[in-house]
Amino acid sequence: MMRTAETMQRVKDIILIAALTLLIAAVLVLACGASPAEAMQLFIQGIFRNRQSVAEIFVKACPLILTGVGCAVAFQAGFFNIGAEGQFYLGALVGTAVSLSLPLQGPVNILLALVCGFLAGGLLALIAALLKSTFNISEIIVTIMLNYIVINFLGYAVRTFLKDPEGNVPQSAKIDPASQLLPIITSTRFHAGILIAIIAALIMWFLMSRTTIGYELKAVGFNQRAAQVGGISVAKNIIRCAFLSGGLAGIAGVIEVIAIQKKLLEGISASCGYTAVLIALIAGNHPLGALIAALIYATVQVGTGSMQRQLGVPNAIVNILIGAVVLLILGRKLLHLETYGFLKRKKEAK
Amino acid sequence: MPLLEMRDICKSFSGVYANENVSFSADKGEIHALLGENGAGKTTLMNILFGLYQADSGEILWKGKPAEFASPREAIEAGIGMVQQHFSLVRNLTVLDNMILNYSGNRFFLDRKKERQKLLTLSERYGLEVHPDARIADLSVGERQRVEILKTLYREIELLILDEPTGVLTPQETSQFFRMLKDLKNEGYAIIIITHRMSEILEISDRVTVLRDGKKVAEHLTAETNADQLAHDMIGRDLHGLTYTEFGEKEGAPAAGESADKRDENRQPVLELKAITRRAGKHTHALRDISLCVHAGEILGVAGVEGNGQKELAEVITGLKQATSGELLLDGKEIGHASVRERYESGISYISDDRQSDSLIPDMNISDNLMLRDYASPPYADGLLIRRGAVKENAKDKMKEFEVRASGTQGAETKVRLLSGGNQQKLIIARELSDRSRLVVAAQPTRGLDIGATEFVRERLVRKKESGGAVLLISADLEEIFAISDRVAVLYDGRIMDILDRNELDIRRIGLLMGGVTKESV
Repeated sequence: MMRTAETMQRVKDIILIAALTLLIAAVLVLACGASPAEAMQLFIQGIFRNRQSVAEIFVKACPLILTGVGCAVAFQAGFFNIGAEGQFYLGALVGTAVSLSLPLQGPVNILLALVCGFLAGGLLALIAALLKSTFNISEIIVTIMLNYIVINFLGYAVRTFLKDPEGNVPQSAKIDPASQLLPIITSTRFHAGILIAIIAALIMWFLMSRTTIGYELKAVGFNQRAAQVGGISVAKNIIRCAFLSGGLAGIAGVIEVIAIQKKLLEGISASCGYTAVLIALIAGNHPLGALIAALIYATVQVGTGSMQRQLGVPNAIVNILIGAVVLLILGRKLLHLETYGFLKRKKEAK
Repeated sequence: MPLLEMRDICKSFSGVYANENVSFSADKGEIHALLGENGAGKTTLMNILFGLYQADSGEILWKGKPAEFASPREAIEAGIGMVQQHFSLVRNLTVLDNMILNYSGNRFFLDRKKERQKLLTLSERYGLEVHPDARIADLSVGERQRVEILKTLYREIELLILDEPTGVLTPQETSQFFRMLKDLKNEGYAIIIITHRMSEILEISDRVTVLRDGKKVAEHLTAETNADQLAHDMIGRDLHGLTYTEFGEKEGAPAAGESADKRDENRQPVLELKAITRRAGKHTHALRDISLCVHAGEILGVAGVEGNGQKELAEVITGLKQATSGELLLDGKEIGHASVRERYESGISYISDDRQSDSLIPDMNISDNLMLRDYASPPYADGLLIRRGAVKENAKDKMKEFEVRASGTQGAETKVRLLSGGNQQKLIIARELSDRSRLVVAAQPTRGLDIGATEFVRERLVRKKESGGAVLLISADLEEIFAISDRVAVLYDGRIMDILDRNELDIRRIGLLMGGVTKESV
């Protein structure tokens, strides 16, 4: 009984939210002086044009999957990590430094870069976790502040100690081709890092749903007090989830450098650390949900990219729509018209 | 004509009377005490007067005229002030700002100078010394109370209601507080003080009204009554009929009144507290020199009015709080520094008085809640892996054995927040009363439950004891304590007043002890 009623409500919500989102999209397209029908056609064509365009979805989704799953795990444990952006950048920075400074190139180099990036991101998040668990300082504030520090530290690094000695622009030297993550599907940008992201999502799903670690994290997230009374260490679990969450964002940073950009430079995250927060929210903090949400987000991005090129509809509408979707999800109770007083009275009058 | 008259006030919450035909009055220059156990309806009555609740029937006469207060604001405007048991001060603001916050009238601009002058005049007049610029967070509890009272006086009231005002004060602060109350009384204020402390009533009040189960049972002039009579009025009913034969006979347990010697023979201490002391914190009560022992096959009841250290006692035993000093022994082994998990594993389980917040994870389902204590060990877990099958199996068995009913079709997958209070409590019992538990700390285990669930819970506790377990039953419900305890300790102000054997239980004596009166002081 309960289940069917709840599921029905959820399905209704999803349909309503999708319809409203499409409506907003149509209005935005109309406002650019384009036809929504044509835009829709180009949108779909843009996605399925060829194998490159389909592969591009995965390329764009890769950092979002890693950071989104990371945020989902942290949120589920009640740790509001808004610092994926900073953790991404620190991972990228450390990964680059490791990759460039190691004398040997090849798989070992890649592996070490990834591991060090993971540790860097994890340790950065750990600062916030320790401050929260010992002094009860808001992790939201701390992670946001750390973002500023790390993002600007990266700007500092690419102008000083990591600057390509042979160039004049603020960026690092190129990663040795042997230590890059190369495309694994020919004539596309589909690289091995995408597999890492998908595997990471699957591992996190398994961890959260099938292991005692996941159980502890969820218990702490749902009711910290009861977890403590039951004998679970709250501090240990906050530290644990922060480390995992930051580590995943760190790996995302490394992959972006060694698979896509091939060097470290400013702005490489494309704000995916912030988008990750939205992805986790849309996914209801479920790791597989975050995987799917990231793929959908990337798909929409690819589709609107084609709209932008051919119709002049700005790509920016993706973010407008995502913002709207998140607001609609958070405020979905407002969509339940039957709960409004004046409507209820009318019904009763009948 | 009395300043205030309340006539035949009735108020029920979902069909249960909190107040039934209660009449009450207060005069100028009088301190009127309102006495009763937890849930007797004292606070409800005063909340009706203060406009927080509306009475179902009955009338309020204020200065002889019928009055009805739809909100505290209206009551305050009429001249009634109330200091709630839990203070409502803004910690980060100064004393003066708290005053202004409470009453800035309808003006847009603040005249701090004027307000400060008003505050200083008031505090001087009643000897309520406070510094206007002190931050609330930096004040002691006694000082905060002064601020609370000043805050109400600031509104130019004539009747002051105080809900359990001395619960948080030290003895010194209390005597200072009483002097101030007497001053206020001499100024012509009418004062109503809600309390359960007999000595205070006798010391300070002019009149006492006793409530029991929502009804007014007695009204005395303080000069004409004594602690004994008040204790009797407060507890009233004869509880001797309610021995644990209710369950005992059914289960073939030793009948009530069995000689203490016979039990002594096979008594083996499970839990021992030796001089356990804990300092009071910002929101916690103190424990003072508590020594007690719970034996195998015994239920030790801890009676007392809530807020006298019950929660702290339970949490010190279960490991959620640390004692400042003293020894805590389980089966003879010191466990004072063991973690919650370690204590559970050596046999201490806990039924908290706040099940929603302490004992359950409402957003998780039944089977997940059932393994909250043991999720990391077999059969639930195999290393890090959770064995879903075993978890489900366990949930099915426990739900059947402990009659946990989930409405709907999801069974063990039902979220716990969807269960009724009784089923939630059964779930906790199912988890905590495992074979592993040697000592059960049960705090208010039947609060808010219907009769069926209440009986179920009590029966399970009795069964635990019969199978050789030890139970520490902390309850504000004397009926419950009397029904199933073998011995009864009375907790008052963080202290064990006395421990009585079941066959020397005397309702009056318990009542006196609960009110803080010892044999010697009678």
